[in-house]
Amino acid sequence: MTEQSDEGLTIREVRLGATREEGGTREVSYVIGGERDLPFSGDGAGRPLVALEICDDPRFWPPVVRDYVGDLANDTAEWARAAERTYGADLVRLNFTSTKQRGFDAFDAIAATTEEVLAATARPLIVEGSNEPELDSEVFRRCGEAGEGERLLLGTAEADRYRSVAAAALAYGHAVIAQSPIDVNLAKQLNILLRETGVPQDRIVIDPYAGALGYGFEYSYSVMERIRLAALSGDADLAMPMICAPTDTLSVREVREAAPADQEAMAVAWEFYTAYAAIVAGASIVCVRHPLTVERLKAALEG
Amino acid sequence: MAMKALDIYKHLPKTNCKKCGYPTCLAFAMKLAVGKAEVEACPDLDPDTKSLLGGVTRPPVRLVTIGAGERSIAVGEEFVLFRHEKTFYHPPGIMVQVSDTWPEDEVRSVVETVKETVVQRVGQDLVVNGVAVKYESNRPERFAATVALAGGGSTLPLVLIASDPAAFEAGLAVAGHYRPLVHAATEENWEGLAALTKRYGCPLAVRAAGPAELASLAGKCAEAGTPDLVLDPAPSSLAGFIATATEIRRSAIGRTEPALGYPLYLDAGAFGKTDAALAAGILKYAGIIVTPPLASASREAALTLRQNIYTDPQKPIQVTPGIYPINEPGPDAPILLTVNFSLTYFTLLGYLEASRIPCYLFIADTEGLSVLTAVAGGKLTETLVADSLKKFGVADLVDHRLLVIPGYAAPLSGKIEDATGWKVLVGPRDAADLPGYLEKEWKA
Repeated sequence: MTEQSDEGLTIREVRLGATREEGGTREVSYVIGGERDLPFSGDGAGRPLVALEICDDPRFWPPVVRDYVGDLANDTAEWARAAERTYGADLVRLNFTSTKQRGFDAFDAIAATTEEVLAATARPLIVEGSNEPELDSEVFRRCGEAGEGERLLLGTAEADRYRSVAAAALAYGHAVIAQSPIDVNLAKQLNILLRETGVPQDRIVIDPYAGALGYGFEYSYSVMERIRLAALSGDADLAMPMICAPTDTLSVREVREAAPADQEAMAVAWEFYTAYAAIVAGASIVCVRHPLTVERLKAALEG
Repeated sequence: MAMKALDIYKHLPKTNCKKCGYPTCLAFAMKLAVGKAEVEACPDLDPDTKSLLGGVTRPPVRLVTIGAGERSIAVGEEFVLFRHEKTFYHPPGIMVQVSDTWPEDEVRSVVETVKETVVQRVGQDLVVNGVAVKYESNRPERFAATVALAGGGSTLPLVLIASDPAAFEAGLAVAGHYRPLVHAATEENWEGLAALTKRYGCPLAVRAAGPAELASLAGKCAEAGTPDLVLDPAPSSLAGFIATATEIRRSAIGRTEPALGYPLYLDAGAFGKTDAALAAGILKYAGIIVTPPLASASREAALTLRQNIYTDPQKPIQVTPGIYPINEPGPDAPILLTVNFSLTYFTLLGYLEASRIPCYLFIADTEGLSVLTAVAGGKLTETLVADSLKKFGVADLVDHRLLVIPGYAAPLSGKIEDATGWKVLVGPRDAADLPGYLEKEWKA
């Protein structure tokens, strides 16, 4: 392709969320990507976005966060509202952890929760669908449909399970998180697969899979740098913005075994260092789970 | 740009005299090319050739040692912009700042914490490196006393931060023989400071806003006889530091501006966001990071990030192969086969310890490869498993003959049974599923 020569030097812009003018109900929409250089090196991008993760079944959530948010954990919509209004998150990432339980079949609740969370929030929404391949098609259909027109960022597509999420994104106009296991070539391959399925390239966000700090994070860090360098030197199949969501961060030994008085500080420090390093490596969206980390990251990114 | 070994070889005498310590001139050339030998080692080169080769073979970022003795640190001598291109060699020294206006007890407590705190991870001892003493009292003798309180440089490496020559005189009278870093020479005071640090043989930080100004100042100080320099780009923001540090490192490794070939200095307390600055300094090329005293969580996270980033990407950290008891296992506990890739080990360890299920982790030597790559690459084989069972005396530990293997090693299950005589149970692929699997399936 000849068109990539010039265009490939810029990270593709991906729009998240839709305002009323854009066919949704969000008060703002975000455009991520657009960088022409390494992070912090001059022109292009806006500030990276900080997403606070919440879930619909707190039994599968880190105790250190449950302790902090208290009753909010039992009311997904209120939790989402607090994420934006109280904790200052740029956006919410809703995880359907309920799909982890055996014999899950509450598909109506998936649609209802998606609608409630959309109603409770004013900003773009990331939805992390099912945790079980056999549930994928129904879960993605339900949350995709419930968020129609809102330009959700739907996750997660992987090399051996991307069709359901891609289908939901295409049918209802959403963007997709494409996750590959810490490898530049696999990231590229998955983007090509998604393109062949019909997902436009400006609706893909790369998740290079992030290990927790101290538990393989260095691999994720370097892969993010390599993806960004490949994109800037003209590889259009890697020229998408990146998202970093190191899901194990709050279950590492340092956090789990910290003295009770230090546990919260350790949780926030661990998330902060991981997320900030991901931003330095090129992430446009970082996802964290402890509300205090949001505040710390936003302060660090100002000025 | 750097010269290749063969180009360097053309300039050598080709006598193979061995006086440089290498068997042939070509071997010497190859060491020079990777910055592992000094041109001076060759007795037969004329000065012009020496300076030509010296210019292209010395490490693009100079190695600077701060402090003396066991806790001294060496920073710089880096060759790449991104760790995946090769590796980063010399982790930045993290120095905790105290002020000479603080009460003695407060200074002493910070110094003790730096001295005593060790974070152990993956078989390595991680420490905060030294103490930076800042001159704020306007009384040189008070500065000298605080420097002495910080150990005078004999135990921990020091940074002396001041602007008044009298303060440096007093501080160096105490610590001058232990190679403290003197911060900082500027366009105004560099002559005096260069003379002073030359007298003591100390490293000197030079401070100026912008690469061109730094290069000019560093050039003058080096000329004046202080070869061990550290560059402080005086950033006005953290983003500014990352951008300037990247530009300086790029010039240094591209050898476009030799006067920028020195380690960088970052004051992490300068922007009111210490954690972000520490992370940025670790990730983006700082050699010396001065920080306000750190809470334990920040310290542990920063040291872990530094360990991660300075791990050789081609040589993953490995765990010593062997048998590892977890949760006080007895003779009926399961034996769980895995590989010696440290990440695999620590992930398993995390889940197994949390599960409180007593078991033995049985780690075979796959040369640091993960399960998937070790199976695919033929490093994890039935022979290795059989040999390792014997070598580690696994049969004496338990009264059963059941071996749980990783899900990704399933293709080897039959072969392992044949080679070992043990019955093989195929476990899950994901460490997170292992406790659930053991609770359901394990019966000795």
